[in-house]
Amino acid sequence: MLTELDLWLKQATCQLSIDSAAQVRTEIQEHYESAREAAMSGGSTADEADRVAVRALGNAQAANRQYRRVLLTSAEAGVLREGNWEAGAVCSSPWLKWTLLALPIAVLFAAIGFVLAGSIDKGRALLSGGIGMGLLFTTPFLPIYTPSRARVFRLLKWVALLGALGWAFDWSWLLTLKWSWLLASCLWPLAWTEWTRISIRRKLPVAKWPKQLYL
Amino acid sequence: MNFRGTLPTLILEALEHEPSHGYLIAQRIKKRSQGVLDFKEGTLYPALHKLESEGQVESFEGVEKGRPRRYYRITASGHGALTKDRAEWRALSRAVTLILGEA
Repeated sequence: MLTELDLWLKQATCQLSIDSAAQVRTEIQEHYESAREAAMSGGSTADEADRVAVRALGNAQAANRQYRRVLLTSAEAGVLREGNWEAGAVCSSPWLKWTLLALPIAVLFAAIGFVLAGSIDKGRALLSGGIGMGLLFTTPFLPIYTPSRARVFRLLKWVALLGALGWAFDWSWLLTLKWSWLLASCLWPLAWTEWTRISIRRKLPVAKWPKQLYL
Repeated sequence: MNFRGTLPTLILEALEHEPSHGYLIAQRIKKRSQGVLDFKEGTLYPALHKLESEGQVESFEGVEKGRPRRYYRITASGHGALTKDRAEWRALSRAVTLILGEA
């Protein structure tokens, strides 16, 4: 049977990551025991002390809202986990690493070839694709290890990505309603991951940032 | 009493002279305000985590009555923030007193 404290903790840890929830449980349990001991040493019975200690914690939903602002949620932990897995998979496999580095260069050479052969539109689309692939695939290998350098890089990355996308498909028809669904569906996963990373950067001290948070 | 926004400063003040754990910090704030600042203790830890991620406090494992406890201590950056908050609070308090009159 759940105690009052268990119910409080269940609400307060809702949507938090497993590690964050464990941290909350530990610190609130410690706090609760101290409050309970203080109440009992003041003459309260065990039941009264339990109630006083839980009441002093306040509203669990309000605490949950505040915890979600400062501790990692399960969705944020998922983004970190996937990013770390991808980085680990690339770094542990030299052929994959070199393939990812060579692919954008190959696409850029192909683009130059098309332009020289007179296929300007194909060359333009491939060049944009090469820039986009370069930004996505080669960034983990760039020497970006400070928050200020990372901010500049991220700004340039988004300007270059949007610019390349617009250039490849021509802004005039890309921005019409007919193709906006394509733009939205292409950019949504990137935008969502970036938004989640902004939130994680606010929560984690810089010293604990994995490489993916700099990019 | 509602003292929204001042909790981080009160936490830094409570940690100014010695490290402490969450329960003691809460009791210290309540005692020093003579019970006027009676906040919900569940909101203390999110504020402590925010201060920690900003580098104003740091935590370490300690032991109290044979039980492991997480203690917090103020950092140099926290001391700087506390000094700045104190000066701002004195200026604000002086200005409001000028308008509302001495209590």
